[in-house]
Amino acid sequence: MFKGSRGYIIYGIGFFAVLEIMLVAAIYWWPTFEQNIPSIKAIAAPIAMLSDLVDQVDQFGVSGYIVGQHFFKGCSALGTAAAVLFAANSVAGEAHRGTMEIWLARPVSRLRLVSERWLGGLLVVIGPVFATSLTVPGLLGMFDKTMAISDLMRCSVHMSAFLAAIYAVSFLWSCHSSEPMRISFVMLFVSVMVFALYLVEGVTHYSLYRLVEIKVFMRIITNDAMNWTLLAPMLACTAAAYGLSVRAFLKRVP
Amino acid sequence: MSAVAPNQAASPPSETAGGVEVRGLEHRFGANQALHPTDLQIPPGGVVGLLGPNGSGKSTLMRLLTGLVPKQRGEISVDGVRLTGDGLAIRRRTTYAPGELHLYGELKGGEHLRFLMRGRPGSSLERARAIAGELGLPLDRRIREYSHGMKRQLLFAAAIAPEVRVRILDEISEGLDPAKRSQVLDLIDADAARGTTILLSSHHLGEVDRSCQRLVFLNAGRVVADESAEEVRRRAGRLVRLRFSPGALKPTSTTVLEGPGVESVEEAADRVNVMLSDDDPRAFLGRLAASGDLPAPISVEHGRISLSELYRTLYGVEGT
Repeated sequence: MFKGSRGYIIYGIGFFAVLEIMLVAAIYWWPTFEQNIPSIKAIAAPIAMLSDLVDQVDQFGVSGYIVGQHFFKGCSALGTAAAVLFAANSVAGEAHRGTMEIWLARPVSRLRLVSERWLGGLLVVIGPVFATSLTVPGLLGMFDKTMAISDLMRCSVHMSAFLAAIYAVSFLWSCHSSEPMRISFVMLFVSVMVFALYLVEGVTHYSLYRLVEIKVFMRIITNDAMNWTLLAPMLACTAAAYGLSVRAFLKRVP
Repeated sequence: MSAVAPNQAASPPSETAGGVEVRGLEHRFGANQALHPTDLQIPPGGVVGLLGPNGSGKSTLMRLLTGLVPKQRGEISVDGVRLTGDGLAIRRRTTYAPGELHLYGELKGGEHLRFLMRGRPGSSLERARAIAGELGLPLDRRIREYSHGMKRQLLFAAAIAPEVRVRILDEISEGLDPAKRSQVLDLIDADAARGTTILLSSHHLGEVDRSCQRLVFLNAGRVVADESAEEVRRRAGRLVRLRFSPGALKPTSTTVLEGPGVESVEEAADRVNVMLSDDDPRAFLGRLAASGDLPAPISVEHGRISLSELYRTLYGVEGT
């Protein structure tokens, strides 16, 4: 999938463009959304979790709307897909198309090869999260609103840690597999199921997407600090999956 | 060449610059024993042919030598360096052209060469481009537009260009037309003449007959023969093959062929292979002509028997 920095840059720009288009559209429709919050609340009322989301936007104003639209919806949904697709293809894709042998046969250490691939793919996933977040203050300026860059960066770090964990787990599977399609299909199916759990009252606490819901981001913003209780396990999961990926890759047969 | 007992501890190979040494090397893929315990010593310089049918263990051995397949048991030393870890030290001192022909179709030929030459000095890339040019490869075209033979030549250019003392080339001339095959073999011969050690695996016995000074034959993961190409040719010179009309041969009728100057007589269907004790068949042919107990053969071959037939005769192994 990736054979050089050019490939990473192209995919990164593509992911940035998609996220930015969604962000621009969301911010463009903010005044309309703000005016219609009472109507939206009425529509969402039968679904408790949806109603709760609208309440949070109502409570936190444009900041709640931005973290909801950009982080909770855009980055977590599209970011999960990007993380799974990039990771699934990274090693299993090489094995699937038979190019693993020429990839490994060069005088480059396996540790370096797997680390470059891992890091390159991760940057493609999380780079656009930071880059698009940086454009938020400028876009909000159209409506005389603003958000602090520091808040947005802290939220981006939290979002990125969530995506990194998904990416790292998918990458680990990729290091053991030769079937990128199966990895992508299963991981995306599980992601959709886990996201669906979020909207079901009673089982919502089992959803991993609770880690990146509006309340979590608003707590980060209001506390002016990272939420290490949530962040540390995600980072630990990422590090562990990376370590296991390296171990698997060192033993991998083309 | 000798096999060692599976549980015998392999002593470390001596480390000869430019050579390849293997001791007690064996490998399993699950329940399949791909390579039985093997010893191999290849001195520096020259071309060594690694021959055998599909699944004989040639590619596994080559991948083990470069660290592409992690070593399970045994010791490997290439160009004076012991294989440890992921084999990086050996890959820096060798080149390897894989037998599997899977390249990145979306890259242009020149880009692909750069990909393959990563980790080598810049001069290697320049040399690879020059060799690719000599071979007539269009480096500005995408690999997906390359023919099978062109892809093979691209891998060859990348494997022959770097200044190393050992090259491991798996099926390097497979899929090439005769003219290109000859060009590739000329480059291999010239490289070997400069003192490079080349381990060449092939199904095409004609090419190893031409380029190799030594032949190692594998079958079912075991080395079944390891001898000089000259010795193999001499052996071929002692073999006489007779072919008879179907059903013409009667049981025990070939016993008349046994006698002075004949080492062995082997009958298979309508063919009889006779191994002489020297390469002069005249006495034997005289006896054959004088014998009234045998039907007249429809063909008599001597001295022009292919290596594949020789191996089939000697080892009961099909060489394509």
